[in-house]
Amino acid sequence: MSEVQPIRSTRFRAEREADWRALEVLIKRVESRGSHRLSFDESRALAELYRKAATSLSVARDISLDKNLLIYLESLVARAFLSVYAPQDSLSGVVGRFFGGSASAAVRRSGGVILMAFLALFLGSWVAASLFAQDPAWFYTFVPGELAGERGPGASTETLRAGLFSTEANLIGQLGVFAASLFSHNTRVALFSFALGVFACVPSLLLTIYNGLILGAFWGLYADRGLALELFGWLSIHGVTELSALALAAAGGFRLGLALLFPGSMTRKDSLRMASKDAVKLALIASLMLLVAGLLEGFARQLVTDTTLRILIGWGIGVLWLAWFLLARRRTG
Amino acid sequence: MAHTETPAQIARRLEKSRRWFDLIPPEGVPIRFEVAGLAGRFGAQLLDILITVVVMMAIIIVLAFLPFDIAPVVNSLAAILMLMIRAPYYILTELFWNGQTIGKRATGLRVLGADGRGLTTHAVVARNLMKEVEIFMPGTLLLVSGGLGLFWNLVLLLWIVVVLIVPLASKKRQRLGDLIANTYVMVRPKSVLLPDLSTSVSPNVFDFTPAQLEHYGRFELQTLESLLRTEAKTRGSDARRRDSLIQVAAQIRRKIGYEEPVPDSRVAEFLHAFYTAQRAFLEQKRIFGDVRDDKHHRDMDTG
Repeated sequence: MSEVQPIRSTRFRAEREADWRALEVLIKRVESRGSHRLSFDESRALAELYRKAATSLSVARDISLDKNLLIYLESLVARAFLSVYAPQDSLSGVVGRFFGGSASAAVRRSGGVILMAFLALFLGSWVAASLFAQDPAWFYTFVPGELAGERGPGASTETLRAGLFSTEANLIGQLGVFAASLFSHNTRVALFSFALGVFACVPSLLLTIYNGLILGAFWGLYADRGLALELFGWLSIHGVTELSALALAAAGGFRLGLALLFPGSMTRKDSLRMASKDAVKLALIASLMLLVAGLLEGFARQLVTDTTLRILIGWGIGVLWLAWFLLARRRTG
Repeated sequence: MAHTETPAQIARRLEKSRRWFDLIPPEGVPIRFEVAGLAGRFGAQLLDILITVVVMMAIIIVLAFLPFDIAPVVNSLAAILMLMIRAPYYILTELFWNGQTIGKRATGLRVLGADGRGLTTHAVVARNLMKEVEIFMPGTLLLVSGGLGLFWNLVLLLWIVVVLIVPLASKKRQRLGDLIANTYVMVRPKSVLLPDLSTSVSPNVFDFTPAQLEHYGRFELQTLESLLRTEAKTRGSDARRRDSLIQVAAQIRRKIGYEEPVPDSRVAEFLHAFYTAQRAFLEQKRIFGDVRDDKHHRDMDTG
């Protein structure tokens, strides 16, 4: 009796099974140890075998009814795809690109909205300061009780002055101030104004103006007592960084909100995704700046009590931030 | 009258309850992935939170041995450490292990870029930053919700409801972060290639006429395949399996009008031969465009 001819899909499998098995071995190595461990020839074989398996899958879907074979090929090609298209970045590469140009480029592209955020902040302060000049009772309207503490129109000038120059001598105390400042009012405002930007910018704008109002109310109070320069120094040393962080976070929120409001020729989903590329970078920069601001507030402000020096340090660091945003460009070509 | 489902209906319903999506890679052959279930994702998240909390506690305990008094700042210190461990943990593990945190590894899940071009750094960062806003901020606020006013509790409730509704309403179970980063979470595929059933046939023992092979479609063929493949898995219930094979063989013979008697000892052989002949027949039909999804000659799309 002669050997029967195996059916077509069986022959199909027999011809290609060796390639699939070879691919499986390579995938297993990539899955357990990462693709960078493969040699040049192995990487090339992986890509080639992946394409062969994808072709096999495409053919098998049409000609084979063997369920196990189909499931096997589906998963084999899926795993091969994941191995071939795995992210190839290294940690130093990712960090280097972020600091070396991609972050600053996002800031430069968002110049308009950043200006908008600063304007909102300034507008708030101006309104609050001029209202305070008319009637100090406005202070209580703008500043929440727990933020004001013992600072307020009722406090004596001496208390206010002492507040500006109080120092924590021991390290743990400074760490405490650092920690508290990180989870302070401003961090929360930054986070919310970024995340809520999605709702058509309005919450971000309101939050930023509101923060300006608080700032302006304090400004009005201290200016009234002739402590304007001292407050400026006290604010400068960490505030230049912290308020900029706030503005950048709000700008990130604005980008998201504007993408939703004016998607242009894209769908709203795509437009949001495009904008999120810059917005995420703005959020990362803002959190980095908040961290630095926390360090400045926790340590530098406690150690440096001279107003001129405080102003110099604060604005000096501000200039450094600006230099990063303007000068860090990725080399092209 | 109670309506009882036939086994075939149950099998179809189970198959439909799983969610799939087709990813189109640059090579153009769509690849199917199974969307991860909510239970799996919840488990992965829980494990990851556990890991980060344990690391945070370990650092706090080490700090406690330093010659400082950290008691007054221990709460804010814990909060900072949590943030500084958590965000990099998720981002770095997903970036360098190709979409898998330790929790996802344990539950067999992974993150996948939806555009078919692999995960980008931006996607990983975006989905994990959104995770802070979506999961950890409301979670932390929930812990202190007693101290918030009624208004903020309502805001918190609304927030949690929105965050929960988005993945539940999404067909592919995308949470907000997945939507913005354009990623899916899917089940990590496993591949096992079993021997081809059609090769284990001794030739020409049982013969089938084309008329006898007209009765069944793809669904019945693959159900028979699953039945025949169970033999390799379980040895204990051997007698029960033999009984079901005999029953199935009898049913098939009745349906297709196969006259020749088949002794009980050769039932498995008969079924293998029938499987091979039926598969060859259906595959041949398929090449000529006659797709039979089941015995009612349904197409793939309907039914």
